[in-house]
Amino acid sequence: MGRMTEGIAGTGFVTRRVALAGMAACAVPARAPALGNGGFRFGLTPVFLDNDWQLLELIRAHVREAAGLDLGFVQRRTYKEVVALLLVGEIEAAWLCGWPLLQYPSRMTPLALPVWQGAPLYQSYLIAEEDRDADGLADLRGDIHAYSDPDSNSGYLVTASELVAMGERPEAFFSRSFFTFGHRNVVRAVARRLAQSGSVDGYVYEALAVMEPELVARTRVVWRSEWFGFPPVAVPSAASDTPTVRQFARALFGMEATGPGREALRLLQLDGFAPPEPGAFDSIAVRMARLADRG
Amino acid sequence: MRRLPLALRVPLLAAGLMVVLGLVASQLVLAGLARSQERQLVELAQLEFDGLTAALAPLVPRDDVWEMFDHLDRLTRRDSGLRPVEATLVDPLGRVVVSSHPEAWPLGAGAQALVAAAVPVEAFQYHAAAPEVTVRAVLTHQGRPLGQMVIAFDASALVAERARATRALLLGNLAATLLLAGAAWLAVRRLMRPMTRLIDQMGGGSAPPQAIPLADLPPGDGEVGRLYRSYNAMIRALDERNAAERRLAERERFVSLGRLAGTLAHEVNNPLGGLMNAVDTLRRYPDRPEVVTGSAELLDRGLRHLRDVVRATLSTQRGTEGEAPLSPLDLQDLRVLIEPEAERNGQRLDWAVRAAPSCLAGLPAGPVRQVVLNLALNACASAGAGGRVGVSLDRCSDRLRLGVQDSGPGLPERLRPRLLSDAPVEPGGGQGLRLVRDLVVSLGGRVALETTAEGLNEVVVWLPCAGAA
Repeated sequence: MGRMTEGIAGTGFVTRRVALAGMAACAVPARAPALGNGGFRFGLTPVFLDNDWQLLELIRAHVREAAGLDLGFVQRRTYKEVVALLLVGEIEAAWLCGWPLLQYPSRMTPLALPVWQGAPLYQSYLIAEEDRDADGLADLRGDIHAYSDPDSNSGYLVTASELVAMGERPEAFFSRSFFTFGHRNVVRAVARRLAQSGSVDGYVYEALAVMEPELVARTRVVWRSEWFGFPPVAVPSAASDTPTVRQFARALFGMEATGPGREALRLLQLDGFAPPEPGAFDSIAVRMARLADRG
Repeated sequence: MRRLPLALRVPLLAAGLMVVLGLVASQLVLAGLARSQERQLVELAQLEFDGLTAALAPLVPRDDVWEMFDHLDRLTRRDSGLRPVEATLVDPLGRVVVSSHPEAWPLGAGAQALVAAAVPVEAFQYHAAAPEVTVRAVLTHQGRPLGQMVIAFDASALVAERARATRALLLGNLAATLLLAGAAWLAVRRLMRPMTRLIDQMGGGSAPPQAIPLADLPPGDGEVGRLYRSYNAMIRALDERNAAERRLAERERFVSLGRLAGTLAHEVNNPLGGLMNAVDTLRRYPDRPEVVTGSAELLDRGLRHLRDVVRATLSTQRGTEGEAPLSPLDLQDLRVLIEPEAERNGQRLDWAVRAAPSCLAGLPAGPVRQVVLNLALNACASAGAGGRVGVSLDRCSDRLRLGVQDSGPGLPERLRPRLLSDAPVEPGGGQGLRLVRDLVVSLGGRVALETTAEGLNEVVVWLPCAGAA
């Protein structure tokens, strides 16, 4: 089951993240991460994984076959935790969101972007109950709203910044909001009527529509955002050019070359991985700035 | 029930008791099952609450709605027989913190009603076989109450288990009851065999009781053997008594004649003197035709009288048997026998036969003669010297009324049962009163004691009379 993660710090967490990053910087100053006993450690959140061991085994098999790397997976509940692990060198790479990269432009570097439906781009969706009569965010006022992760672009930043643009206060527009720490959970929360609406990754939503149509059928898309750079696989900037990382990048770009790689792409409903283009995350930066401007 | 034979009634009773026993046992088993289910449910509920406290308590202060929901959702989607189907956490202000059924209980909605309808787990009792039970408990974290956790359990598995148990008990009890009732039937039949044998031997209805043949007597001194021997002894005693009664009745028939003997001797003796004189006269004056004729006349009258007396006596002695119909001649005979007795006592005899011969002919002569003779002789004895005696026969509608009157003191109280009832008679007393009663009853009649308009005692015998009026 393919579900992508993104991680970007909300404004409320910036202070803590900066402090944490600072600590990490002191502890492991600009050091290229060495491969520990666990091999090449790849950080993920349950937003993406949810115990899909079959997919992980395929990726592991592909990376071993294509790059000779022994891949180890490290899972945490939130983006924040995975970002922290990456910054302190506990993991060598992580599948994150564009937002944290923009938060730490000098500390983290995008290594590869998934290509979905021909382009390394995705949207954020606002979803609601399937019989809900709503055409946009304005119609969702007073809802119980489900976000994905406070560091997620599509699962939080887009909706919050959109509300700011509307002159609304994100914390007051909805009667109640909560984080589910997973895009699939946002869809479940709306489908089960725990929430009346939710902010969700458009790629995850479309992938779910194929894999769990009965779940998605209980919801409908109310609004689609502009396109953003797809959540990238990121590495610490200091280690971005090590042989190991280069090997890992080659393995990602050559997913089509092996059977397990092709099977993993099929499960993820992705076309492949591509090197990041300059300005891939500019549209996220615009939204980030909008939220920051509000203070 | 009482109409049923004992051999059926006792097994039925045994079967009924088995049914009652089965019902009581079933009730006990079901009550035990209910208690066990209640314990099971309370333990399960307690376990769930403990598990939820551990899992949810840290999440409540953080308001981690999704994690709480996910937990409750997984809890209520478990696929076990006895499972929570809905779980809702309600804060101290009565608002929903989170529910596994957000459609019914959205976040922040008022849920006082839900809490009020739930039973506290510590006071939980599962009496009713409800398919769903709602239980609540206070959720605490580090000693601080966080709210009420309300869990609805699907108890349909328990209900089904009860239904299964009830069905199994019903069928089992039915089978056991039938089996035991059948066994009880056979056992009781076997136990009752001596009783049914006795009932058969007693004959019932018209057949006379029969003794049990010696060959059928069980050996030894068992209860059945003693019962059979006692029964046989009773039958023997009954036979002997019947024989004695028959002998007594026979004797009573002759007693009346015996009582007449004096009168009869007198009746025979009286004309004898005159007849002997006539014979002497004939011998003395054989050549005097007028004397011979007169003596012959005298002899003829005397001999005729004797012939009548002898015939009447013979008729009476011939007994009560025979089917000869009653005729006026029989009554004439009786008058011949009674009149001298009355005359001897200086009594006035009123003899009134007003019933038609056709009415009399419907009755047998023997028994009626015996009845009239016994009652009339008793009347003569009771009336005393110079008293009055009467015999009357009248037809009243379809019955013959025989009345025997006397001016005596009346039938003594102690003798009345002999005439008026079938109560056993004490030996002695005689006078044929019981014979009279037995004869009257055998003719389909009845006896009563009355007093005439003139103040005479009267024994009235009513007999059926078939002839035309």
